[in-house]
Amino acid sequence: MQNVLSILFCLSLFYLSVTPRVKAYVTVLRIQGILLTILLILPFIEQFSIFAVILPATLFIIKVIIIPRYIDKIILELDIKRTIEPTIQQFNFLLLVIFSFIIIFLAASILSQSTEIEIIPFASGFAAVVVGIFIIIFRKKLIIHVAGFLVLENGIFLFGTAVASELPIMIEIGVLLDVFVVVFLMGIALNRISSTFEGFDVTILRRLKD
Amino acid sequence: MLEFSILILIPLIAAAVCYLIKSIRSQYAISLTISALHLFSSFIIFIGWYKPNLPFFFSTDPLSKLFLLILSNVYFWVVLISFSYLKRPVTSKAEAGKKYYFLLLNFYLFANTAAILSNHFGMYWVAAEATTLSVAPLIYYYRNGEALEAMWKYLFLVSVGIAFAFIGILFLTLSANGTTMEGHQLFFSEFVKNATKLNPVWLKASFIFIFVGLSTKIGIAPMHSGDVDATSNAPSPIAALMSGSLRITALLGVMRIFQILTPTTSYEFAKLILIIGGLLSLAVAFIFMFKVNNYKRLLAYSSVEHLGIITLGIGVGGLAFAGAMYHVIFNSLNKMVLFFTAGNIHNRFKTREVNGVRAVINLLPWTGWLFLLSFFAISAIPPFGIFFSELMIFEGMLFSDKPWILAVTMFLLLFIFINMGRTLFQMLYGEKDEKTQQEKESFEIIHFAVIVLLILLIAIGIISPGILQENILSISKDFGIIL
Repeated sequence: MQNVLSILFCLSLFYLSVTPRVKAYVTVLRIQGILLTILLILPFIEQFSIFAVILPATLFIIKVIIIPRYIDKIILELDIKRTIEPTIQQFNFLLLVIFSFIIIFLAASILSQSTEIEIIPFASGFAAVVVGIFIIIFRKKLIIHVAGFLVLENGIFLFGTAVASELPIMIEIGVLLDVFVVVFLMGIALNRISSTFEGFDVTILRRLKD
Repeated sequence: MLEFSILILIPLIAAAVCYLIKSIRSQYAISLTISALHLFSSFIIFIGWYKPNLPFFFSTDPLSKLFLLILSNVYFWVVLISFSYLKRPVTSKAEAGKKYYFLLLNFYLFANTAAILSNHFGMYWVAAEATTLSVAPLIYYYRNGEALEAMWKYLFLVSVGIAFAFIGILFLTLSANGTTMEGHQLFFSEFVKNATKLNPVWLKASFIFIFVGLSTKIGIAPMHSGDVDATSNAPSPIAALMSGSLRITALLGVMRIFQILTPTTSYEFAKLILIIGGLLSLAVAFIFMFKVNNYKRLLAYSSVEHLGIITLGIGVGGLAFAGAMYHVIFNSLNKMVLFFTAGNIHNRFKTREVNGVRAVINLLPWTGWLFLLSFFAISAIPPFGIFFSELMIFEGMLFSDKPWILAVTMFLLLFIFINMGRTLFQMLYGEKDEKTQQEKESFEIIHFAVIVLLILLIAIGIISPGILQENILSISKDFGIIL
């Protein structure tokens, strides 16, 4: 089941690398949030406890409800145009993503021989980190950079479940809150950027240099 | 529990109180009281009068005691001068933002103390990210385009960097697979005890990810750009806070993982990475000192340079390691004096361009002379503290197995000194503009703070208190270095 969810997660990454629409990014973030929530609930289906629900519930509220809504609101308020304004052609971007997937999955299977890891979630998580970085590098719009950062965070989360690290619940929630506040601050900054400068893409942020 | 409340809970409560109180003066009074209390408790913990017993994921060791004292000290002075700084006129937009200043400062103290005292990698990560979140809005104090851009870049770069550090922490978990620690919590002390049993491949990967990720926050090249932009555009108390205390909190994370690597076979590899990082930072400072024409940026690059020297000292090991620990202290004091006086210059000339500033010594005699002395101090001229710590680092390099590092470092530092001096002297002396009227500069609290800090810089360097020496010796011992 964990593998199925991870593969669905990978598919969402592929969709991200071909879609030219800003709205689609928000939808994908929502889907990824749902996938991660299911992933967290899975181990508790057999032995249910109230305590175990806290983390998936927080994750669901932050990653599926609050953050996508917040981003939607920013898009609406700032009247951001629908296309993502890539700096390289979409086809080349897809090639790049596929190429990185191949390398990451190969590396994961080699690494799994020496250490006990779940190959598919491990590789999918890592792939999401890489795709997130590609999105930040090859897209001009700042709001898409925020989405790229969130994809990267989701990847790390998936990756964390793959290495079976059990952080205490308090810290996991702390991590989620931190991510939420980062996005919140970025949203405020975006608002200010659109009123201070003309536009919302990286090309306007060229004042500071030596 | 008492120490836990004073160090961690009260700053958090104070942040909430600052939100409720409207008057800046009362906010200042509360924050100053708390900072004094914090400084007092970290001081008695440092000198060993009080043995703290912290709950949950927190604990103290010689390293965290030293870093906690540095944080408290920097924070106290920054809060002390903040009120007179806030009185300076700014745009109406920025005026409205002042009400969040002390709230964020108190939250910063809470987050940074939690990061320094944490004994758990997860806790450290959460707290370190929280420090970024509290500092980012403070960078945007002036509410102008440059500040906004600096804040965005800092927030984005550091958040991505620290996400990488999280991957490093997960790798660390993987390195414990197959040992008795599998499935256990990520406590530093546990990892240090069982270091030799960890899987070396994952350990190395973990070190690289944590080092690269946190170096966005430490400001080590090649990840320094966000940090330089932020330090140069933030108001001077915040720049002093970042250079003096925030960077070393990030350094603490790197030192924790380095400590785990100490008894393992990956030790030499980690040392090499730190040396490369340090030398690269020096090289970046060397290049940009030639072309930079903004004095706040100049000071920011000086921070890159000194954090580079510290990283280099830690990487070289031996006596250089102890020197690096002294350098952490002196650098934090010295950065405060430099940024405080630079803030005064900015207030008088309303520009950060070197070309717009002339004859500071004539126009602002107090600030001018103190700025000159701070420059001497940062250039490691005796009797200021940095001279002694750099001497120790250089001696360590000379007697290490890689003495060529000393040659490279000396070469780079010489040109950094010449270029920095050339620029600063141009500001201090130079022809006075005919039109500028001479107003007599009054003695302010900022001057008082700078004088006390300069005296501290000399006194700690010359007297070298026994308690400090003992502390640094025990830190070195924790890192497997017997001096």
